[in-house]
Formats: sequence, C-alpha cells, structure tokens
Amino acid sequence: MQVSIKWLKDYIDFDWTAEELADKFTMAGVPVENVVHADEGLEKVVTGRLDSVVKHPDSDHLQICSVNVGADAPLQIVTGAQNVREGQIVPVAMVGAKLPNGQKISKGKLRGVASNGMLCSAGELHMDLEKLPEEQKNGIYILPADTPVGQPVAKILGLDDVILEFELTANRGDCFSVFGLVREIAVLTGNQPKWPEIVCREDDPDKAADLISCGIDAPELCSRYAARVIKNVKIGPSPDWMQQRLEGAGIRAINNVVDVTNFVMVELGQPMHAYDYDEITGHTLTARLAKPGENLHTLDDSSRVAKGTELVIADSEHPAGLAGVMGGLETEVTENTKTIVLEAASFNGPSIRRTSRACGLHTEASGRFERGVDVPDIPRALDRAAQLLQDMGACTVTKGIVDVYPAPKKPVKIAYTADQINRRLGTKLDGAAMNDILEKLGFTVEAQGGGYVATVPNWRNDCTYMEDLSEEIARIYGFDRIPATVPHGMMMQGKQSEKQNLIAKIKHSLAALGMTEELSFSFTNTDILDKMLVPADSKLRRAIPIMNPLTDEAPLVRTSLLTSIMENALRNFSRKNMDLRYFDVAPVFFPKALPLTELPDERTECVGLLTGRRDEAGWNQSDEMVDFYDAKGIVEELFSALHIRNYTVEAGTHFAMHPGVTAVFKKGREVLAYVGELHPKAAENLGIKQKVYLFTMDVETLHRYMGSSFHFESLPKYPAISRDLAMVVAEDVPAASIEAVIANNGGEFFKDVTLFDVYTGKQVGEGKKSLAFSMQFQSKERTLKDEEADAAFQRILAAVEREFDAELRS
Amino acid sequence: MEEKVRELKAQAEEAIQHAAGSLKDLDDIRVKFLGKKGEFTTILRGMGAVAKEDRPKIGKIVNEAKAQVEALLAAKNEELKARALEQKLASEKIDVTLPGRRQPLGHLHPLTLTLERIKDIFFRMGFSVEEGPEIEKDYFNFEALNLPKDHPARDMQDSFYITDEILMRSQTSPVQARTMQKNEPNAPIRMIAPGRVYRRDEYDATHSPMFTQVEGLVIDKGISLGDLKGTLELFLRQIFGEEVGVRLRPSFFPFTEPSAEVDISCVMCHGKGCKVCKGTGWLEILGAGMVHPHVLEMSGYDPKVVSGFAFGMGVERIAMLSYGVDDLRLFYDNDKRFLQQF
Repeated sequence: MQVSIKWLKDYIDFDWTAEELADKFTMAGVPVENVVHADEGLEKVVTGRLDSVVKHPDSDHLQICSVNVGADAPLQIVTGAQNVREGQIVPVAMVGAKLPNGQKISKGKLRGVASNGMLCSAGELHMDLEKLPEEQKNGIYILPADTPVGQPVAKILGLDDVILEFELTANRGDCFSVFGLVREIAVLTGNQPKWPEIVCREDDPDKAADLISCGIDAPELCSRYAARVIKNVKIGPSPDWMQQRLEGAGIRAINNVVDVTNFVMVELGQPMHAYDYDEITGHTLTARLAKPGENLHTLDDSSRVAKGTELVIADSEHPAGLAGVMGGLETEVTENTKTIVLEAASFNGPSIRRTSRACGLHTEASGRFERGVDVPDIPRALDRAAQLLQDMGACTVTKGIVDVYPAPKKPVKIAYTADQINRRLGTKLDGAAMNDILEKLGFTVEAQGGGYVATVPNWRNDCTYMEDLSEEIARIYGFDRIPATVPHGMMMQGKQSEKQNLIAKIKHSLAALGMTEELSFSFTNTDILDKMLVPADSKLRRAIPIMNPLTDEAPLVRTSLLTSIMENALRNFSRKNMDLRYFDVAPVFFPKALPLTELPDERTECVGLLTGRRDEAGWNQSDEMVDFYDAKGIVEELFSALHIRNYTVEAGTHFAMHPGVTAVFKKGREVLAYVGELHPKAAENLGIKQKVYLFTMDVETLHRYMGSSFHFESLPKYPAISRDLAMVVAEDVPAASIEAVIANNGGEFFKDVTLFDVYTGKQVGEGKKSLAFSMQFQSKERTLKDEEADAAFQRILAAVEREFDAELRS
Repeated sequence: MEEKVRELKAQAEEAIQHAAGSLKDLDDIRVKFLGKKGEFTTILRGMGAVAKEDRPKIGKIVNEAKAQVEALLAAKNEELKARALEQKLASEKIDVTLPGRRQPLGHLHPLTLTLERIKDIFFRMGFSVEEGPEIEKDYFNFEALNLPKDHPARDMQDSFYITDEILMRSQTSPVQARTMQKNEPNAPIRMIAPGRVYRRDEYDATHSPMFTQVEGLVIDKGISLGDLKGTLELFLRQIFGEEVGVRLRPSFFPFTEPSAEVDISCVMCHGKGCKVCKGTGWLEILGAGMVHPHVLEMSGYDPKVVSGFAFGMGVERIAMLSYGVDDLRLFYDNDKRFLQQF
C-alpha cells in the first residue's frame, strides 16, 4: 500500500511533515517503510527561457544557449540536444543540483566554452515517460510557452507530492485504504476528517434489478455480492487530479471506468470490478465454484484450466472472472462499452489466497480480500464509483443496487474491564481514558455491569477479544509510556538438558584441542553422497527430499555431517586455506519411512577434519603434515575429557575412509567413533590432493557412555617401578592387542602401559616390527619390591611370547 | 720461618692476582699452596724443626696466612665465576623479536559464542532451555500458533515443506506449544528455545535459507506487556551495553496480542542515523508480544488464569551487530580466516 500526502490531505488537515507523519504512523502500529519525495533531486532545477541558441564554433552537434532563469544575468549553458530553439521554456539544472539519476551538475567547459548548468530531458527529471507523447520523450523537455521562468520545475510539473510506502501488517485490512489511514490520522492528531459526501443520483429510468440478476452459490466463499448498473457510458481518460492520486498510489491510469474502480478501491478499501453488460451472457452474475476443467480467460490474456476449487463470477454460461483476483477478458470494458455492471463484493480470504497463490496472481484486489473488507459498507463503494463517473458526465445511473447478502454481518461486541486491560498491559489507566481511545477509533462503548462492552466498527475485522482491545489502547496510548517491569512470581532455575551440556562440553573440548567450529546448512545432494562413496544400500542414502528446495544443489536434508565438512574444506582449499582443523556438531535426519508419515529421527553427529600442516607455518615450526594419529589423538583426548573409559580401538571400515587407515572406537559391540583417512578414491572424486583425516561420532551414543559423575583418583603415596619391554612381532599385530595382553597379565600391581617406540626396518627383518612398551607397577599400600615387578614382567613376557610369537629384544 | 711464610703468602697473592684465566688455573694455585702437598702444608709439616715454645706463634702465623690466601682464592673464584656466567649469558643471547612458537587455539563459531552469551543472560534470569525438532509438524509450526492454513500472515515466511503436513521449522516458536503441551495446564514457564530454523529465502547479505533463532516464553499469573518490556530491556542492555536505547513499536504477529517489534538505538551511529540503520537511528532486533489467548487455549492453558509474553530473535543479527559483520554469509562460509578471528 502506498499513498500520496496530497490524497490524505484531501480528507484531513495535519501540520506534520511527511517524515513526522510516517513516524507517528509507525509508532501506532501502521508501519511506513519509505517516504518518497517525488521532487528529490529536483531542488535546484528551475524553469528557464532560451534567450538565444547559437552553434558551438568548434562542434557540429553542440549549441550554446543563453538562458534566463529569472536571475539578474542569463546563464550560458552548452547543450548537445538538437530540439532546442530560441524562446522555448525548458527545465534547467543549476550548478550544484544533484539529479534523481545521481548526476551532479558543476561548472564546466565543453570544447572550450563555459557551461554553467544543464538543460534536462523528461527522463532526467524522473518523469513517467510512458505518459508522455512521443515527441516529449527524447531531447530536452519543452514546457508550455506561458510557463513562468525561475520557478521550481517540480512544482510546475506536479512532482512535489510525497509518497508514503506502507509495510502493512496482515491484520490491518482497514488501513489498505485512504479512509482507513485518515481515520488513524484523526485519532493521532485529534483533528476531524473532512469526509466527502457520497451520494449518487439515480438518474436513469431503468431499474438495475430489471437488467441484471446476481446470485451466490457458494455462501461460505462469498458473503455479499452487490452490483450497480450504469448506462450511456462514455469511455475516456479520467481527470488529471484522479490520475495524479492513482499515480501516487502506484496505479497506472487506464480509462475513466477502470480508474474509478481503482480509485474507490484505494479510497474505501473495497475492490471493485466493471463488466461490459452486453458481454454478460444471460445478464446474470453468480459467485460459484469453478467447474473442474472450465476455462478461465483473465484480463492478463492468459488461459487457465480450473481445478474446481476457485471461486469464479460466472454468467449463465461460463466464468466471467476469477472472483477477487482478476476479471475475465470477454467481459472487459472497452472503448465500445455502453452499459456497465459495477461489482462490489466480499470474498472469503483464505479461498482468495489459495487461488491467487495457485495462479501466481497477487493483485491489489486479492491482497485486500485476503485481509477482509468492510462488508456492511459495500453499497457505499458502488455509490461512490457511480458518483465519480456521474460527476465526470460519463454515465447515467440506473435505480437501485442488486444486493445479495444472505447473512448480514452482526456487529462484534467485546466485554472488558479496565482492570483486565491494565493487568495485560502493566498500566494504571482508568476506564474513561481507555474508552476515549476506543471511541476515537470508532468503537462504541457502553458501561455494563462493572465493566464495559465495546462494539467493533465494521471496518475492523481484527478485533474479537479483550486482548485485541488491549492492543488498540496500548498502541494509541503509546508503547513508550508503558512502564518497564520484570516478571515476579515463582523463582525459577535456568538450566538446559544434559544433552545440551554434553554438546557444549564437546565443543569447548574440541576448541581447546585446537579444532575450529564450523556451521553448515542442513542440506545435501546426491552428487556429494556419490563422491563420498556412500554405498547404495546405506541409510545415509535415504535422505529426506524437500518438496520445494531452493536450489538443485540442496534438494535433500542431510544424513551426515561428513559431506558438509568436506564441502567446507573444499571451499577453504579453493581460497588457499590448506591447513584445517575443523569440527561440527549438528543434527542429521533419518526418516522412519519415505515419504515421511511421521517426524524423522534427529540424531546429533559430531565430525572433525584435519588436513595440512601440523604446526603453523613459521621459522621455528616443523613442516610435518598431520597424520592419522593427530586425528586419533583428538578423539582420545575428547573421550578423556568426557570421562569415557574402557573402550576398545580396532581396525575398522568406513565407506568414506581408507580401508587400511581407519580405526573404530567401540564400547562392547557399539561404535563410539570412526577415525580415518579420507578414502583416496573419495579424495580423487573431490579433487583433493592432500591427505585429509576425518572422525565422526554419534553424540547420543557418547551421552550413554559418558561418565556422569566423576571422582578423582588419589595420588600415589609409594613410588612406582618401571620396566621396559621391547619386542619384535609380526607387522600386522595390532599394538592395542599387545597392550591388552600386557594389562591382563600385569597382576595386581600393574598400573599403566605406554607404547614409546615403534620401529620397522632392516634390523628387525621383513614383515616384522619392533615395539617398546614402558610398564608401571605400583602398590597403594607400600613400596613395591623389585622382585614383585620382575615377577609381573616375566608373566607379561611369557604371555606376549605365547600370544604373539613375540621375540624379546635386548 | 716467619719470613718464609710472609714470602709464601706474597707469592700466593701474586699468583692469585694474576690468575686471570680460568677457574682451573685458580684451582691449580689452590693445590700448589693449600693442597695436601702444597707449600703451606709443607711448612706446617716442617714445624718439627721449630722450637717448641715458638710453635703456637708460628702455627698461628701460618694459619692466618692460609686463611687469608683461602679468602683471596674464594674471592677470586667468585669473581671468575661471575665473569664466566656473564660470558655464558652473553653468548646465549637470542633474537627475542623472532615470532613465538604458536600453539593455536581452536575457535568456537561466532554464532555459538553469541548464543552462549544469550543463553547465559537468560539462565541468570531463571529461563531454561527447551528444545524441539527441526523437522516439525505444520500443526506446531503454524496452527498451534494461531496461524491456520491460508492465513495471510503465512506469507510472512516461505517454508521448506517435506510433505503437506511436515516442514522444516520456519521458527523456533513451535517449541512454545510443545513446552506448554508437555506441562501441567497453567504451570508457570520461563523458557528460551534456541535453534536452527529454515526459510525459503535467497542467500544474500542479510538472508539465509537456514539461520538461528532464540524463542522466549514466559507464562505465569499476571504477566504483563510491561514485564515483556522490562525483561527485553534488561536483556538488550546486557548484550549491547547499558547505554543502548530500546523501543517497542506496535506490530502484528498471529501468536501474540498486543504484538511489538523491538528496536535498539543503532549500535553503529548511536542513534544519529547512518547506512546501517538506514538513517532512522534504530535497528529492528526482535519481535515480541503478549501470548494470544488462542495459543494458550490450544495448548491447554487457560487465558483467564494465566498470561504470558513471547519473543523471538535472530542470533545472526545480534552477532552481526556485536562484531560488526556486514554479510551474513560469512557465518556459513566457514572461511578459516574469518573463523579464527573469534
């Protein structure tokens, strides 16, 4: 909705500037998005007479003009335009002007001749070119010969209006009209509106009811259908003042009939339509549902096949328009139209909304019907339209209105007490002050019992409850005057779920470990799943499709964060950020059935990615690249921070990971985490040349195994004894299994084992490796004897020799 | 004898004086004069030849001389050690202006940091965090919030639908309805619901198909619009500083009545008017209102008994204003150079 200040001032006085008015509207809940000054940029453009026009001595196309702009001395201006002649009145942009197109006018020289200003074309003045005759569109805009010189051109051209552009909320259908806005201004200023007298003279002998019959077949979708018939119509342009008002409202003038229907729509908020009476088959108009398959040929000259859910206005044979959205082409008013049926009706908002969305037709009319119109006021809109046309001498008006109104709207009454309103708002207003506000807004208020009953004015479709009245009172009283308090009542404890605490702990631990958190969209696509080698039968392939995805790249809801973190790594690689340590904790979505019949499982996944250099580049830093063990170490530290203990680690397989460089962390049979190198095939698919290490874990699973309460272990009072064990075993023996055997055979004093050296090479022979473990033995009660440690060492040695065919290295 | 001692002492003093070299030289001098076979020892051994009555006197002289030499040695030793240390320190001088060996920290995402600040403020005001699914029923996302199908206010947001009845939640407001329905009717509530929400918005400097919202809801007996105003003022002043201006503008949301848009004075120009606030001096920061009676009723609360307020804010918006980030896409671009600044 947009409207000019001039139109508002037709009906009410106010002293505020456009900006002040906009601010008052906004603070009263009628938000103004923009204030547009049509003369913006034209402040230094005045009218001037060309006293002389001579050819530039050094140019074929330039002319030197001497321009009288009402000042003492004429201005010398050089122009390239060819349509200037001596004696013409033209718009002159003075030095210092900044035109609507942003062009700044300054003193200059053109081929050696001084030029102090610019003569302007219509386009440069931001005039509506489509409304100009052909010869005025190009070249300098020539003003009428009797135009006074030295006048601001904006005023001369009627470009001095100011437009308010509203961003109206869905509840305030009543403000989609000049009358509605004037009512608001009246409340805000206390001034009385100067309403126009709306009367039409029924000067035609015919009765409308004899000419046309109207009906409603779908009363739930059309609550009122009314029509007037006007005759002896003379189609022509509407008067300038009306065209200007419409232009201010952003509506193009077409002809007097269409302009009047639009004018009434903006003025009263009631959309109207005009039918060519002679094209209405059977001279009957009925609001009914379209028949499936019926052809709908609308004014925009497009044909649609009806689904059967659309409300149409039909004559005795076929639809003559999509009700409330757009009229039909066959019954369009043309130059030859002699008799017209003016329609004003009320259509069901949701139905209009469905139809307009389905057709992609959002019109001024459909927007107003969606929000609801002033139903009892409908006949007045017909009278106003007939009156305006009659005033133009464009028609005669037949007698009566054909009005189908099966269930007249009953006024809405709302009971309230001052106390109720005050409690809701936190105010201490007395009833009289509240009632005063409501009465100014058009409510009628009666005292009843200990409280009041307010009758809602016809034009307000958004007030049903006491709470609605509280808003009316608050917005007019002023939100800024409501005292700020804090809720009292029961003291409550602020907390979050254990899972939320766990997620926070994971994030903070990973950040402490040098990992940086990323956030990524919950969307994915098949291509990245393919590239990441997700098997066809994997549950990750059963991603939920979005009905209306934004782009082809994001048609699915993701089932894994690995795809997202890889995409982020790729984006970073493309920007030469090659050293990354990233993690992400976010939900992934698994449908129980596809298509979805119930909400999917949402699991929280945690993934990490390490690639590039281990250390920051620098003179004193190593040039080593991260490897598998960096990634694994992060997971181990994280588990330690979460007090997850007694898990096992073994070689595992994960589709996206190198089959030889993947570890699986387990608790019994349950997987806690996978860590591994990005599968070289996936790396190739993604065009990645450097090694990338990934980990993934399911946060809900971690939650189950995380130590909920944690007690510290007391520090040892007695010294530990250390024994080292170096052995040679077959290369494929996992170190973890040796550690397990050591731990199992260490006896009661076994404390800890650390693998401190791994060696493969000539000295140990082909297919073999040397591992060196340091073992700690300790008692809590006393100092351990060497012999006790030796005995444990011997047991361990025997066990590893037996289990792994290990050879003691000396 | 006395003469000999004096001479010896003079020799020792001379030697020590000139032992400019190392500690080793000094030790040699000590051995030469004071060692087991040193010269003073030899003198003492030769005491047998001295007359018995002279022995204490001579012994005293020798011991005094010895002590003096020892003291000189010690002093020289200290001097040499100090000089050696000085040399060592001088030789160990490094270029301290060379960059340190960095042990880089990881970084939490700026939206996580902002959300943690927001949560923290509300925790201290007794609000708990409630959660709900991101793929949500149309019923909770819209209908239970007084937004029936085909309500024009549904145009305010374009949603990603999975089926006709299931969508990617377009707001965190459905958690309101879920929390009320989980509770005993009319049980007091003070909650926030942070989380991801999805709207079918083109990805640009201020819009994203996924963003982060924090919903808030307070329900109790006698909760008023004034309480909403006071609570949000407290919150916004903690986020943006004590001096920030806060204003409520009447607005419309289907789930609240009255409804308000909440503005803060522009954090860039402090209300003078600039590009960020489009010259108005104010920035829209959140939407709020008194919970609509329908919303309470639909979730089993009685609007005649309790009232409440609700609010919703975008975490991205708050993070952008807090950190001066001018393009929302930076948050989801995950460029290392951006993230490591936080």
